Amino acid sequence: MMRLLLAVLAALALGSCAQADDKTHIYLQRFFGECGAEYGGKTDVSKAEGECGIVTALVNKFNAENPDVQVDVNVIAWPGYPQLTAQMAARDPPDLVAMHTGVMADYAAKGLLEPVGSYLSQAGISPGAFTPAGRDGVSIKGQAYGLPWDTHGGLYHVNTLLFRQAGLIRGGEPILPTSPEEFLAHARQFRERTGKPYLIQSLVGDPAGAARTLYTYMMAQGAPIFPAPNRLRVNTPEGRKVADFFRQLTAEGLGTSNMDTPAAIAAFMSGEGGIYPTGTWMIGQFQQESVTPGRPLHNAYAVYPYPRLWGEHVEYVGGHAWAVPTRERTAKQREAIARFFRFMAAHNYDWARTGHLPALAAVLASERFRALPQRANIAPLGSIGRALPGTVQRQSAVEGIVGEEMSAAITGQKSSARALADADRRVNEFLAELQ
Amino acid sequence: MTSAERRWQGLLFVAPFLLLYLLILIYPLLRGLWLSLYQVDLFGGGTFVGLANYARLAADPVFGQSLINTFLVTLMIVPLLTVVALALALALNRATRSAAILRGVFFSSAVLSVTIVTLIWRFILAPDAGLLGELWTALGREPLPFLSAPNLVLPALAMTTIWWSVGFPMLLFLAGLQQIPQDMYEAAALDRASKWTTFWRVTLPSLRRTTILVVMLQTAAQLQIFGQSQLLTAGGPSGASRTAVLFLFETAFGRWELGYASAAAEILFLIILAVTLTQYMLTGRVRAGEDGR
Repeated sequence: MMRLLLAVLAALALGSCAQADDKTHIYLQRFFGECGAEYGGKTDVSKAEGECGIVTALVNKFNAENPDVQVDVNVIAWPGYPQLTAQMAARDPPDLVAMHTGVMADYAAKGLLEPVGSYLSQAGISPGAFTPAGRDGVSIKGQAYGLPWDTHGGLYHVNTLLFRQAGLIRGGEPILPTSPEEFLAHARQFRERTGKPYLIQSLVGDPAGAARTLYTYMMAQGAPIFPAPNRLRVNTPEGRKVADFFRQLTAEGLGTSNMDTPAAIAAFMSGEGGIYPTGTWMIGQFQQESVTPGRPLHNAYAVYPYPRLWGEHVEYVGGHAWAVPTRERTAKQREAIARFFRFMAAHNYDWARTGHLPALAAVLASERFRALPQRANIAPLGSIGRALPGTVQRQSAVEGIVGEEMSAAITGQKSSARALADADRRVNEFLAELQ
Repeated sequence: MTSAERRWQGLLFVAPFLLLYLLILIYPLLRGLWLSLYQVDLFGGGTFVGLANYARLAADPVFGQSLINTFLVTLMIVPLLTVVALALALALNRATRSAAILRGVFFSSAVLSVTIVTLIWRFILAPDAGLLGELWTALGREPLPFLSAPNLVLPALAMTTIWWSVGFPMLLFLAGLQQIPQDMYEAAALDRASKWTTFWRVTLPSLRRTTILVVMLQTAAQLQIFGQSQLLTAGGPSGASRTAVLFLFETAFGRWELGYASAAAEILFLIILAVTLTQYMLTGRVRAGEDGR
């Protein structure tokens, strides 16, 4: 009797260890936020909004259309690289991971990512199908290390109602500055006529925004940010010019200084400022506000690339891709990953509704994409976008340090020269230690 | 049974714990010490560099600032947390239903994760549309930028941590209070001692051991403060709230410098050990010959 009982218990214990179904499971890890409460069971991608809503609905749709495959999703806080690195060090990475193209070289150099050429060919996607920016973003030493999914960068999101009140509308379009002097004049006029800040800046706990500003306007002046892959140089006349300008703007109260990202988003949506410089990823949400009657942004929203203030009109951009961490997989899992790639590429237009530029050339050129709101305004991003050199490693950590120091300069906590010198010192010290 | 047999039996009883202790505490400690002598990333390999990582740390102003921030925030938290926990325990040390409910209410914050705690306090502290900001604005004053002013950000972390951590020390004090013999209070009443005198002469000395325990536990815990700094301020502005453990996290998992992070971890370990032993020795001397709880 006792033996029988033990055998039953053992069988139960073993049974509980096995998968509850005979599906092929793929473990996907991503940022873009958690919105299971709103989109948990939804598969109609066309009705989903924002990065989180669209990616959640896409994965739901994939699972629904592929009953033999189950994509299990792990959502991590942006950008999630410390967690991913720890998972890789523990030899337990996900099967698929959303990644910024700027950090792929770190992992690829250590053999932690699989080249995805075989997955792409199995999915029937030719490398020529991608935009040059998308293809270059995932290419390392001639091999693709991910499915490029978008090109994204900073944009000036504008409250046109307040711009009108400030007298900064011409021909129905907001007048954006074309020089630092004009920028200051516009900002002062805006403040005087509306009583609100011209620029909503997210400078608390958000180093990426400040780094984006510095990179963009240094690139515009033709200043090499990385003269060598392991050497940052931002404490230059060009870098200090950018830092000093935004510092003056903030010191005059023309830009906010105490907001984190959620506060800045809320302030812009409540009509508390003229321009919110953030990325392509916010277009969907702001556009939705602009078509909702009764909202402060109703019929009061437009968006443009960062204006040219110095030198050439270029802008720092990056991209998102789906990468495949190196680990043992079954043939069925490999086939499921290829199927997932084919599905995501086929839905690149849906993702482009977030505001990001599509990574597939056919989608970028399509009428359907061009007919989306605001896309005509931001289309130049495709040609003026510039990435950091792919040979620069630890771009996420570098961005954190540069953004922290640039924020300190903008808010006046450090002099521009000291903040940028500190950024150079801190980054170069750790880049020199790379093995 | 001989004494040798008894010793072996005793060792057998504690062996499972000792093995686990060696595996998950002593081995990582020694491994960390070994890694701190290498220039190595998270994925193996590495070059022996002796004490170079320690020399680099000594000259690293970011690490220095993180240590200062850690000490300052610990000093802001531990004394105030001890006083607040004691005050709550004194106020709620009674057998009424309302006291039982309030004990639950004050302990409830302790069961929340740091993510939820920081989210709640962000809604309170954010100058734009935060609770305190709205109150300040309603009073016609400029809201205090708790999360972006270098001189306010550590007090903000301290407030958050005290609110989160007060439950457990309060329970320790309540347990201590309930162990004080009632006859001591009766004797004090017979001597017509005032409430204040009774507190100073009876309650506080009787809680000496509990107080020492609370201070030592909280000091060791707050020297390792991490989540609040990472989630509420990301160590900013300009490193003003970067704590030692946040520095370790960024160095190991953001920059992949495992050897350098291990050296910083060893220094933090030595600091915590030294502070805890110093407290133990100082309070041990005072305590000798006294009976407290």
